[in-house]
Amino acid sequence: MIGRIVAISLNTFREAIRNKVLYSLLFFAVLLIASALALGQMSLHEEARVTVDLGLGGIALFGVLIAIFVGVNLVYKELDKKTVFSLIPKPIHRFEFILGKFGGMVLTLAVQIAIMSAVLFAILRLQGSPIGGAVVRAIVLIFVEVVVVTAIAVLFSSFSSPFLSGAFTLGMFVVGRSLPELRELITKLHEVALRDVLWASTRLLPDLHIFYVSGSMLNGQYATVHRVYVDWSYVATASIYGLGYAACALVVAILLFSRRDFV
Amino acid sequence: MTHDVIVSAEKLEKVFALGFLRKKVRAVREVSFEVRRGEIFGFLGPNGAGKTTTLKMLMGLIFPTAGTARIFGEPVPSIAAKRRLGFLPENPYFYDYLSGEELLDLMGRLFGLGRAERKRRAGLLLERVGLGRAGARSMPLRKYSKGMLQRLGIAQALINDPELVILDEPMSGLDPIGRKEIRDLIRELKDEGKTVLFSTHILSDVELICDRVAIVVGGRLRDSGPLDQLLSPRLLHTEVVLEAGGQKEAVRLAPELDVDEALRQALAAGKKVVAVTPRRESLEDLFVREVESGDVGAGAEHQTPREAAS
Repeated sequence: MIGRIVAISLNTFREAIRNKVLYSLLFFAVLLIASALALGQMSLHEEARVTVDLGLGGIALFGVLIAIFVGVNLVYKELDKKTVFSLIPKPIHRFEFILGKFGGMVLTLAVQIAIMSAVLFAILRLQGSPIGGAVVRAIVLIFVEVVVVTAIAVLFSSFSSPFLSGAFTLGMFVVGRSLPELRELITKLHEVALRDVLWASTRLLPDLHIFYVSGSMLNGQYATVHRVYVDWSYVATASIYGLGYAACALVVAILLFSRRDFV
Repeated sequence: MTHDVIVSAEKLEKVFALGFLRKKVRAVREVSFEVRRGEIFGFLGPNGAGKTTTLKMLMGLIFPTAGTARIFGEPVPSIAAKRRLGFLPENPYFYDYLSGEELLDLMGRLFGLGRAERKRRAGLLLERVGLGRAGARSMPLRKYSKGMLQRLGIAQALINDPELVILDEPMSGLDPIGRKEIRDLIRELKDEGKTVLFSTHILSDVELICDRVAIVVGGRLRDSGPLDQLLSPRLLHTEVVLEAGGQKEAVRLAPELDVDEALRQALAAGKKVVAVTPRRESLEDLFVREVESGDVGAGAEHQTPREAAS
């Protein structure tokens, strides 16, 4: 089983690295991160701060864009291009196919984020700024976040068109990132029944805010990647939550995919 | 079920629910047939008859609404059965960013073949289907012609050295030479002891290579069995070609007429007999008879969802 999942994953990764659009996205991401060199010059002795902010923002933005752009096409393209017709009759289970596609996408994102991170570290080194553990922890959290977004994209693409899947996934991302504010709004509702229903429904949404905490209050303390940031135990807890959420999304995707007719 | 039945379909039925109103489209109705070990079985029918839908149900691509199907005695879809078969989909589409060699390597991996074995089989199969030259092996599939893709499709169906080969319209889109090569390949597979089930609407292919056939029209199985048993042995007519004064004339004599008497009369009238050909039922006659007696005029009733949507 593992061998078949790995074979599909490696093939998905190969598809991604031969996709010119992804290179364009990566190029713009690197350009954005590299622009920190120029912007840093304009700041007053805050080069490292500008570089880290711009770098992490760029990695998160392009990571999520790639996750949505490729993720929503991941399963749909196989059906649309009919490539699934020659794959499913091979001795594979349908869940292996979904896991393989997802695995390949995660591998692609890991490599993309590694390249963007390498550019960020190179610029920090060039500026003579230290590469703190906080930046590494922030990048790990961004990676877990894009894994969750990918799983959501795969879930939608297992039953919907790429356009709708993209819109749904983007919507989930925006709502997931704003979950604390959304919950705040819900608590202010006067209608108790509605408030309870809405509050319960937010439990189904992914809390993506926990992966991008720099600049927010955490346990009564201001967390910032430049000074006091979350520790590794926070990263571990958030990762368990993220991977659990992604696993649930994949289980639903597999259930939908396993009963589907390929006409 | 006897031990030499490789594929059995029993009252297979598929109803698709299409569109917003979930309109029911019955693509396959109570189709039953058996494919026996070592034979070439032709699944014959006009376009939109339900051949591809039936094969997709056997391959686990589509779930039957009713009925059962077994391959190697296992209810479909079965991983154990899939290990022992190869499948060529209709108008095969593959990952166009891969080369022929890479595609076969991927398919070999799905069967759990080792690296050396994958390389060996890929080389042999590419050679066998006429894609062995270096340019074709390493060229990305987006540059392949339709005929090349069809050949590669057959190669990938054979990567696991299967006992059963199922080919959906293997000759479609090929020129006469290509079709002959595929027919020869199917015969070779039979000689190697493999069982071949293939669908087609090209009658000559069936007539030339099939041991047994099933005819599907409008989603229903109209007839199945050995070709010589399906074709009526009765005389349809006798065609007589006569020549008089340099002019040739063909006459069709009904089966109840006395041919000897007709020839005597022609000779007495000073005509020369050029040819006398008794015509019995051909596969084409049988096919037309089945299609005409079937309710193919029901239109969308027998279309696949893709056809209905187009």
